[in-house]
Amino acid sequence: MFTVLYRIIKLSLQDISRNIWLSIVTVTILILALFSVNSLFTVQVISQNAIEAVKSKVDINLYLKNNTNEEDILKLKSQLEKMPEVKKINYISQQEALSSFRQKNETNPEIVQALRELGKNPLSPSLVILPVNTESTDLLINNLRAYQSDIIESRDFNDNTVILEKINNITNSINQVGLIVIAIFILVSILVVYNSIRVAIYTHRREINIMRLVGASTNFIYMPFIVSALIYSLISMAVIIAIFYPLLTLLQPYLEVFFMGYNVDIVSYFTNNFWSIFGLELLIVVIINVFASLIAVKRYAKV
Amino acid sequence: MINIRDVSKFYGSKVGALQDISLDIQAGEFVSIVGQSGSGKTTLVKLLIGEEKTDTGKLVVGEWDITNLSWSHVPYLRRQIGVIFQDFKLLPKKTLTENVAFALQVCGQKPARIKKIVPSVLKIVGLEDKKDRYPGEVSGGEQQRAVIARSLVHQPKILLADEPTGNLDSINANEIIDLLLKINNFGTTVVLVTHNREIVNRLKKRVITMDNGYIIGDQAHGKYIIR
Repeated sequence: MFTVLYRIIKLSLQDISRNIWLSIVTVTILILALFSVNSLFTVQVISQNAIEAVKSKVDINLYLKNNTNEEDILKLKSQLEKMPEVKKINYISQQEALSSFRQKNETNPEIVQALRELGKNPLSPSLVILPVNTESTDLLINNLRAYQSDIIESRDFNDNTVILEKINNITNSINQVGLIVIAIFILVSILVVYNSIRVAIYTHRREINIMRLVGASTNFIYMPFIVSALIYSLISMAVIIAIFYPLLTLLQPYLEVFFMGYNVDIVSYFTNNFWSIFGLELLIVVIINVFASLIAVKRYAKV
Repeated sequence: MINIRDVSKFYGSKVGALQDISLDIQAGEFVSIVGQSGSGKTTLVKLLIGEEKTDTGKLVVGEWDITNLSWSHVPYLRRQIGVIFQDFKLLPKKTLTENVAFALQVCGQKPARIKKIVPSVLKIVGLEDKKDRYPGEVSGGEQQRAVIARSLVHQPKILLADEPTGNLDSINANEIIDLLLKINNFGTTVVLVTHNREIVNRLKKRVITMDNGYIIGDQAHGKYIIR
């Protein structure tokens, strides 16, 4: 068993070394294909982070009329709390709003002076609403827009939908272009691997002929070429991992500046999801390459 | 050992490479199949090694009906039949020993067995002194001996030699025929396909003559008759 495996791997390495330049081109095309896939994936991760960051900034406030009595406000609060999209509601009374405002602006003498001259509390009581999660924000905002109550004076949703829409649009455009690029690379990869195996079969035609003559099994004749495709996959995957991590490390400081205040760590993301990202990619590349080489051997190395 | 019954083989719809031929070859026989180019000799060899399939009739090798042999079983058939061709089919970058060992390696034989068998077959064909030479460093006759050694590694019951002397001068050709006779004396059935009249006439063994896909002569101690 191990003897046969050893001989198959030996023949496969012979295939690769006899056509070394073609092997290098094959691996390079596979690396480019994998690079495009991973770049697209990185953009996807970054855009998801951007969307989460913007969504977490969502500030939903209902400002209430100044003369509303507290009983009505609490009644409204309890009604709104029944909404499934609402996680928590904080009631900020007129006095609390003023205290908070004063505290925030205590270093600004002009504002302090203006408040003193006004002689009364100009701020409204408010309800600060926290959504259950970022996904339910849009629905909550729509529901609150439609909610009718006499005591509501104004609604401030600090509407980020335009920004979210823009991020989504950019991400979708990148995804669409990226998917086309990936499809082209996958097609080119299949053709290049197919051609490499075809040339390997051609350079090995004498051996194949002798193998057939002396009774080598079909599997033994086919397997070295399949193993070659497997080796191409492994090498290209190893190279892409070796290239991609330093690139992510270079990208990380720029992301930290861009998403200041948010925990965006692309390197950790790829490390934590190493097997689900690179493992899955390896599996797909192996399947594609083995498929391409199987077609080639079935066609050109008939037994 | 070989039973051929009413076998026909057509290429295209009209050209009959073999037409309704029947033939029995007993174990241990030395049989020459002769005929001009295009008489069907090589087609018969191709049928016997499973490279082609019959269109009609029945083909039995040993006790194995190979008429409708599946492609997956062809390698097992070829381990039972040694084949020698006119072009030597040796790997130029391997020594004679490595060339012979290659036949065992690709069939999954263990290194210990290969080390045991290879020197013994090289000794049978008289190449033990040149075992480490490359094909380019030995004569055509010696290359054909190496091919014969390679065909013997699976200890075949049948040895098919398709024009084995075609590329050799008369001295080397006679040496190869002597070697085939020696192998035949060990009990191996030898089927020699040739159009070399001198060799066939010297052998004084059974001669089957083919022409246009038909068997036109089968003599126990025959000669090559030119029509």
